[in-house]
Amino acid sequence: MENPASGPGAWSSSSRKRRERDEQEETPPDTDATGHSLSLEENFTFSDTLVALRIMRAQFPRIDKVSVRPFILRSQLYSSVDDRTQVDRELESLRREKVLRIFKLNTGQDDHAIMFVDDYLNQIERISKRMEGKKQYDVAVLEWFKIHVISSKLDPSIGHEELCTLLSMGGKVKDDHITLLINAGLLTRQLIDPTMYWFTIPNIGSVLKGLSQGRKELLSFLNRRKYKEMMLAPLERKCLRLSPMDMRFHLRDLIGSGHLKTAKTPSGLLVRVVKE
Amino acid sequence: MWKGIGKRESGELRPSLFCSRIRSSRAASLQLSNHKEIVSAHRGSVNSLQVDLTEGRYLLSGGADASVAVYDIQNSTHCEEGGRVAKHKSIFVIDKQHEHGHKYAISSTIWYPIDTGLFVTGSYDHYINVWDTNTTQVVMNFKTPGKVYRIAMSSLATSHMLIAAGTEDVQVRLCDIASGAFAHTLSGHRDGVMSVEWSTSSEWVLLTGGSDGAIRFWDIRRAGCFSVLDQSNSQLGRRPPFLENSALNKASTSKASAAGQSSSVKARALQRRAANGNGSKQSTIGRVRNQVKGSMKHRLHPGLLSSQDRATAHYGAVIGLKMTGDGMYLLSAGSDSRLRLWDIESGCNTLVNFETVRLQTSKPLQLSLTQDSALVFVPCMATAKAFDVWSGKTRLTLRGHYENVNCCWFNAQDQELFTGGNDRQILVWSPPNLITDDVDALSRKGQAALDEDNWSD
Repeated sequence: MENPASGPGAWSSSSRKRRERDEQEETPPDTDATGHSLSLEENFTFSDTLVALRIMRAQFPRIDKVSVRPFILRSQLYSSVDDRTQVDRELESLRREKVLRIFKLNTGQDDHAIMFVDDYLNQIERISKRMEGKKQYDVAVLEWFKIHVISSKLDPSIGHEELCTLLSMGGKVKDDHITLLINAGLLTRQLIDPTMYWFTIPNIGSVLKGLSQGRKELLSFLNRRKYKEMMLAPLERKCLRLSPMDMRFHLRDLIGSGHLKTAKTPSGLLVRVVKE
Repeated sequence: MWKGIGKRESGELRPSLFCSRIRSSRAASLQLSNHKEIVSAHRGSVNSLQVDLTEGRYLLSGGADASVAVYDIQNSTHCEEGGRVAKHKSIFVIDKQHEHGHKYAISSTIWYPIDTGLFVTGSYDHYINVWDTNTTQVVMNFKTPGKVYRIAMSSLATSHMLIAAGTEDVQVRLCDIASGAFAHTLSGHRDGVMSVEWSTSSEWVLLTGGSDGAIRFWDIRRAGCFSVLDQSNSQLGRRPPFLENSALNKASTSKASAAGQSSSVKARALQRRAANGNGSKQSTIGRVRNQVKGSMKHRLHPGLLSSQDRATAHYGAVIGLKMTGDGMYLLSAGSDSRLRLWDIESGCNTLVNFETVRLQTSKPLQLSLTQDSALVFVPCMATAKAFDVWSGKTRLTLRGHYENVNCCWFNAQDQELFTGGNDRQILVWSPPNLITDDVDALSRKGQAALDEDNWSD
């Protein structure tokens, strides 16, 4: 991916204030607290995976109805850092150091979500607080899960026996406990193999639906245009109807997964649909 | 280039280095050949290509219309366009009309590795035929219980003549040409086997990739597979680092031994499961195994322990395998549109990311490597892409086919790439011709007559 030319960020947009932005056309260039421009065109590529992760986490849109901690998709990283092998290797070493966790999503073939471990533990806290009101003994399982399973099992999936072994370090495990974990949204069964589970991010269902619908909407929008392309700057200002996430999130994701490609033109970056 | 020749003359550059530099620069500049063309004799998609390993002269291709054709790629049959394009027509074609020919699509064709007197074809009509090239007659055939996806023979083999066949059945069969029967079957996969490949470093080691996403290594002298590649076992770099090696190994061996011990105590007889065989029943098998786990303590042959290992190398089916010439690395293509590079000795994923967007999922692919294993040629939908093996970057995108490309073969002798696709064509990609060569003997004679000293009258 090319490094964008650093020009005046006159028409850049921010993730947080999108809705107010749309009403007023001539807005001053949008910057965050430190005065740096937040447009996609200017901040397209990063040098390091961790830097990219932190910045994208900060730019994660805040969704009102659902409380989800920020996560980053793997394809977004691929579009933001030049060398994909370097991204893979750095993710692997960060995962081993327990800085972040990787989850496999069920939207599409090779989708993975990356979340910092603190955010994930935070999310589990919220879930356990919510479920505390319902039944008495169950919250203990979530504690065992947090303490024993997550700290030792770093892979995105886990087998049934191993799960039971790790949970039983906290107390006696029954099938109901596993049902509770699945209901809380922390585990889900694998379709191919009934004895394996995927780790999942709880409360993420509507966000994933928005993700796949937003992808389709953006691709169909570009496909309907005459030459199946559009300049990045005006494209970024558009709002997606079906997705709670902002355009920048979807653009990074689709460019990284290869459905869109960018081309450098004298007046900025151009986004084109890839036809193969 | 001239500087290189001068250096070689003076001894500054070693001859082998000079050769390899020229080869790699030629391989890096492939384009659709404008001086060589193969007239495809197939009326269906081309599924398999192979140039013979002994001389590098004959190209064998198998098509979806049950046709097999052999072309001579060094001598052309006729010229066109003023002697500038050499056309190669097939030396012979075998099609459905042949009395012992295949009835359905041919998925895989290979030459007998020792000489070009025999070739073997595997087809969706469940048969593997061994043909005599000179008489084009079927010498031997083997019936398998499912569609044959891929066959392979070891080019290193000196003591066996086994054809490994991957079919839609879960068992990999080894067919023996010397005796005409099946030597033995390898069980362990949980779904059909789409790719088989013999090791380039040992004549006894076979690699198979299945539709369940697992890649297994088999030593055919023992029972069971000795290694299953797991995509979560990864190392950061080409070879595992020395210091961390012990830590990594400890982690992976402790995982493997824990799994092994638990499965040996709680496993049931494998023979029964192998008899069941079919992948569609695996959900019930999984359920039964869970309940039976605690009660049955059958003694399992230690070689068969690894069939309990359910590690996957890809999230989808493994559709192509290629081992590097030195036997140290393995490239695998999966239907999850990923290409992975594995370090064979440590069994780890080296995490090199190849920028593949989509790979076709229903048919097995044939990958190809250059001789020094620097470039890998992968058919990606309607193009063939050349990736740098160690960094994963796309070096070349070869667009020429009208439809999906199925197979490719790199001829290391001339640095030419042959690709076959669903559009029934076999395209030749070669480095650009800097000097216009004489294409045929006829035109050569004509030009030679002009060059000749014609002062003697």
